[in-house]
Amino acid sequence: MMKKRMMAAMLAGAMVLSVTACGNSGGAEKAAGTEGDAPAEAPAAEAEAPAAESAGSVELVVTTTFAGEDSNAQNYKDAVKAWEAETGNAVVDTSATADETFKTRVATDFETGSEPDVLFFFNGADSNSFIEAGKVVSIDEIREEYPDYASNMNEDLITASLVDNKKYAVPANGFWEAMFVNTEILEAAGVAMPGADYTMDQFKADCEKIKAAGYAPIAAALGNIPHYWWEFAIFNNQSPATHLEIPENAGDENGQAWVQGMNDIKELYELGYFPENTLSATDDETFAMFTEGKAAFLIDGSWKVGGIVGACQSDPNDPATLDSAKLDKFDVTYVPGKGDRKATDLVGGLSSGYFITRKAWDDPVKRDAAVSFVEYLTSDEMVPKFAQHGASALKNAPEVDTSEFNVLQIKAMNMMAGTTSLTGAVQDLFAGDCRVSTFDGMPEIVTGRVVAEDAVAEGLEAYHNQ
Amino acid sequence: MGANIYRNKKPALAFLLPAFLFMVLFLYYPFFKTIINSFMHLKQLGATATEFNAPWYTNYEEMLHDPHVWTSVKNTIIMMLVTLVGQVGIAIVLALMVDNIGRGKQIFRTLYFFPIVISATALGLMFNLIFLRDKGMVNQVLEMLGKQDLTDWKAEGIALVTMMAPVMWQYVGFYFVILVTGLNNISDELYEAATIDGATALQRVRYISVPMLHNVICTCSVLAVTGALKVFDLPWVMFPKGMPLKTTFLTGTYMYYQTMETKNVDYGAALAVLIVVLGVVLAKVVNAVFREKDY
Repeated sequence: MMKKRMMAAMLAGAMVLSVTACGNSGGAEKAAGTEGDAPAEAPAAEAEAPAAESAGSVELVVTTTFAGEDSNAQNYKDAVKAWEAETGNAVVDTSATADETFKTRVATDFETGSEPDVLFFFNGADSNSFIEAGKVVSIDEIREEYPDYASNMNEDLITASLVDNKKYAVPANGFWEAMFVNTEILEAAGVAMPGADYTMDQFKADCEKIKAAGYAPIAAALGNIPHYWWEFAIFNNQSPATHLEIPENAGDENGQAWVQGMNDIKELYELGYFPENTLSATDDETFAMFTEGKAAFLIDGSWKVGGIVGACQSDPNDPATLDSAKLDKFDVTYVPGKGDRKATDLVGGLSSGYFITRKAWDDPVKRDAAVSFVEYLTSDEMVPKFAQHGASALKNAPEVDTSEFNVLQIKAMNMMAGTTSLTGAVQDLFAGDCRVSTFDGMPEIVTGRVVAEDAVAEGLEAYHNQ
Repeated sequence: MGANIYRNKKPALAFLLPAFLFMVLFLYYPFFKTIINSFMHLKQLGATATEFNAPWYTNYEEMLHDPHVWTSVKNTIIMMLVTLVGQVGIAIVLALMVDNIGRGKQIFRTLYFFPIVISATALGLMFNLIFLRDKGMVNQVLEMLGKQDLTDWKAEGIALVTMMAPVMWQYVGFYFVILVTGLNNISDELYEAATIDGATALQRVRYISVPMLHNVICTCSVLAVTGALKVFDLPWVMFPKGMPLKTTFLTGTYMYYQTMETKNVDYGAALAVLIVVLGVVLAKVVNAVFREKDY
């Protein structure tokens, strides 16, 4: 009887241990291989760090937006590989495309204590929650230990946090938003390439011709990613000086500019300038319409240059397979202007940067590696590779070597040379659930099911209640 | 002595304890926490709620006025009916047909079961390509048959059909395998006796197979209805954020949308409670309707 009791107790103990062991091994496996699952990876990486240190290397968990169609996805992979080879350290990369899901994931990781060691992330309102929680380290604090940290950057161009006006993120490369053009469609429709003095009225006239020629004038998925049109439609009813002011309510002057912006998009929708399936299509589908010669204009960011180039390659990962003739048919120009906003007043800036988390900073094993990683990725040699045709915050920015640029990158550089101002995106300040009524609610606005003024008022109320 | 060991329940308790603790930790605790969170003010995932909503039942009141809640409940009920008719119904027909063929039963079992082993996310991506407006498989076939214009299979009005067809297709094989196993358990002697009595193939199905499958069909129906409440991944991949115009939300996808996309975490918790209540009520109704018989 005693034997059987002991056997039962041993078996029960074995079951408990096996359950525990399963949990542990799962975490270890994830840390070793999977991407995009930071909550499981971070603790495992932490547990492994002491062992890694004894072997002369540190494992850093890093998350960035250099993934997917981002122009710098390959640059980032190359840089990480080079840093690993140089230092003997290892990077567990959990980078993902910069969208709302990614932002949610990062915020959740911080909330649950599973944040990465280093992250390249937005320095606007999206970073407020983890800065408020004291989960990242300010540049000034890092400089107390590492005086040369980010010393190659122009201080004036490092964006301060909206929470406490301290600087946390070391910028690497800037961004711009402009209008990509499929010139093949313009030729077919008898429309001239838009220039620096392009107005909204001219744009509408061109759209009418393009539509009459059987093409979709604008490639945009209003039910999925209305962000770019949202930004410029509002900007077109303001000026660079007022664009970053969030209205108090939908009734004040700025609020009315927002309402008018929404109604401008509604007008374009009613005129039939968006694809027929703009409310049900994904951004990938409308982007494919643009690259496959079915839609003429695409407002997007500087990162889309890489996406367009990739679409012109038979193997998106192999630059040697680029179809140059196809790429030649794409151009990039200014977004049509209206009122006090000239077409050459673009949206852009240095809205992202490298943060070091408090968790990595407080870990004596990881602190050096985290600083070394950020310094490597923001060095004078590395930043120009990432900045390409965009801006950087370097004090001594070297001359851009265009010899290795493709034709679209050169067109982008020429376009950028003509800009009259670069203003930040107001949606970076207007983050969280306040966006829902006008972002996710865009289909209801353009179809008239929700009045633009109500949607704007709802969003502003949510913003001021935050 | 030998029989006494079965009277002592303590060893059994020791074996049950780990699983019980696991359930408490990962099911019951989050469940009760979700109920509490549905009354709290919580706008960030993972954050600790510190204050109650004012009034505390705000989310439940909002639910009554939220048209998307009613859309999602309506769509979920439609999904249940589609599941019952489309999955279990088609599975019954397929199982009866396969049971009547001499050779190749195993091949059909494998073929019909195969979609189950593919991840729903992968299936969602595949059906996205099939129903793509431009160059999608369905539209290409229709074009070959002479159709001039492209059909937007994800447009309002037809989106629900486009969403439910793949869900239905995916699980037919699951119920098919259960039903075929049920058919195999029916004694051949019954069929032989019926054949001697002059029963036709249709009569054998009507008077032997279907009545003898009653309990299996009941089990399948309960599984199908409760399963329909949990459908999430495939619809979300094909119709994120209830696209188009928030008309394709199911209760699960709407809860996810509120929690993960709009960061309305406390409202998402309230929706989760609604799903549980709906699940319990519907499971009771289905159990009452499809009551198993004793033979």
